[in-house]
Amino acid sequence: MTDEKTLFNQSFDSLVGIRPCDILQYGPSKLYVDDYHWHIPTKGIIASYTPTHENVNDHFGIFRGVDQIEAFAQASIVSCAGFLECVKQNCSLIELRNKFLPAFISIGSVNFQHFLTPGDRFISIAEIKFYKFRQMVADGRIYKVPRDLDLTAYFQNFTPEMLFAFELEPTFTLVAELSGITGRALKKEILTKKI
Amino acid sequence: MTREEVMTGLVEILRTVRTIEPAKLDTITEETDFITDLNTPSTEMINIAAKAEQKFNVEFEDEDIDGLGSKVRDIVDLIMKK
Repeated sequence: MTDEKTLFNQSFDSLVGIRPCDILQYGPSKLYVDDYHWHIPTKGIIASYTPTHENVNDHFGIFRGVDQIEAFAQASIVSCAGFLECVKQNCSLIELRNKFLPAFISIGSVNFQHFLTPGDRFISIAEIKFYKFRQMVADGRIYKVPRDLDLTAYFQNFTPEMLFAFELEPTFTLVAELSGITGRALKKEILTKKI
Repeated sequence: MTREEVMTGLVEILRTVRTIEPAKLDTITEETDFITDLNTPSTEMINIAAKAEQKFNVEFEDEDIDGLGSKVRDIVDLIMKK
């Protein structure tokens, strides 16, 4: 785990190399991002997750569609907006985590093409469409990818143009197409007052 | 810029929002509530604010939007204040 003091003090160019569990607020059973592999803060992100047996419990051994959407949202709007807000507020990821909570605002559309079972590694590949007033909208896709592929190396020379065109290996299997995935960072103090 | 001019410009913005019924904009006043009267989703409120920035050449802070009420008068006040 990344040292908290390091996260508190260090500024980063992107989320690649940062452990999602160190910056996202979800507990272990609800955290659906394992690694960030590519990230250009104003353009988009690519992150991976591999569902566990616990993730598919009571659901026919299949990773639920809503969990795919959640995984995409965590990888895209939550992670990317968090990063950009740190830059804007000139604060650390830890400071930001202490001030805001991510809220799911809306979903434009989702089309599922394939399914995922435990051990199936997938990537969320997201393009940022809008970011203002701590609200972000992202479009993108989920692909099942080979388990043994070094994704960070694979995406090392990836470009935004390749992302927009989904220029990927034919061995990657399209699982879902998502659009209008929207979330906003809410001040914790506002939520506390409402509760 | 007068409040009337802001209202006119705001209605022009609202006519581009597909989730708002155009007919409801014929009777809009400053007392109209975006949520209860126009059924505007919260996600659209952010888009409306962003479009208002461009149209009226103003800049809102995140805190302005955090504290924004749901009535038309609230956003008119905000634009006038800027």
